[in-house]
Amino acid sequence: MRFLSSLLLAAVATIAFASVPASATGVIKCDAGPASGWKSQETLTNKLTKEGWTVRKAKVDGGCYEVYGTTPEGDRVEAYFHPVTLEKLYVGRRGEVLFRKKGY
Amino acid sequence: MLRIILNNKKAFWALLCLPALFILQPYASGDLIAMDMLHPTGEWSARFMIAAMALSPLLSLLGPRPTLIWLIQRRRALGVAAFAYAVLHLVFYVIDMGNVDDMLAEFFALGIWTGWVAMLLFVPLALTSNDISMRALKAGWKRLQRMVYPVALLVLVHWIFIHNNLVPALVHFIPFLLLVAARFFLPRRPIFKGA
Ligand code: HEM
Repeated sequence: MRFLSSLLLAAVATIAFASVPASATGVIKCDAGPASGWKSQETLTNKLTKEGWTVRKAKVDGGCYEVYGTTPEGDRVEAYFHPVTLEKLYVGRRGEVLFRKKGY
Repeated sequence: MLRIILNNKKAFWALLCLPALFILQPYASGDLIAMDMLHPTGEWSARFMIAAMALSPLLSLLGPRPTLIWLIQRRRALGVAAFAYAVLHLVFYVIDMGNVDDMLAEFFALGIWTGWVAMLLFVPLALTSNDISMRALKAGWKRLQRMVYPVALLVLVHWIFIHNNLVPALVHFIPFLLLVAARFFLPRRPIFKGA
């Protein structure tokens, strides 16, 4: 009986583990259409660098460009940009929201 | 032969080091930067911590099974491994941040100070995970080691709020919480002395 319960428990735990999708951070979602219409990541990082950012890392997340770096004001942040307009949508620091564009 | 390896404490330490080799390899080869190392080191630290905490509820659910006893005899090593991976995690955090000002600027984010406090409370646990401390502290040793529960709670909050994402933290903690719950709801098995 006890062995069965433990087995059941292990099964539940395994299913819980297995059924979780490899989730994106997913703070922000961009519905920006097919990637062929996007501006390139280099365009974004070059633009940001010109504006005074230090870009440590950039990637695609939730259909947006996600950038880890330092703002011109000197804050270490994680920021999201629209891949077509390159508009700033979200700036956060370790889960704390510093800026969020209306509607996102 | 297998028995000799299984009973060798050094072999168990080698086993605990194994994930570190896989974690560090892409960093050493330059494929990953310090920032990318926070994820695997933090996660493995939490895994070892949860594994160490899961052994007692498993023991009261399943009774003294040989594998469980084998693991319980090595529980201290699991805890020290959790601490060692947390130290690696902190080292990569410091490398990634690069300066004290940036670390102070984000210190009061809920996802950050919980990590620091967890780390701070982790230190006495790791420092006393040896025979000498066990003998010196007597009954106090167990009481001290129970501090792993507040540490786990802090790590849970740290994990959830660092990315504002519940899922990965819960995936790791729910199996443990189920075990604790089962321990309350299912009848206990008699535990042999010394187990
Ligand atoms: C010394 C204080 C600590 C600091 C400053 C710290 C910092 C961080 C940071 C910045 C992240 C985000 C990583 C990322 O970019 O993805 C993170 C994630 C994490 N940390 Fe810590 N941490 C600390 C202590 C701990 C401790 C003691 C544990 C566990 C025992 C831990 C477990 C984790 C876990 C599980 C994650 C999630 C990994 C992920 O990103 O998916 N941390 N930590």
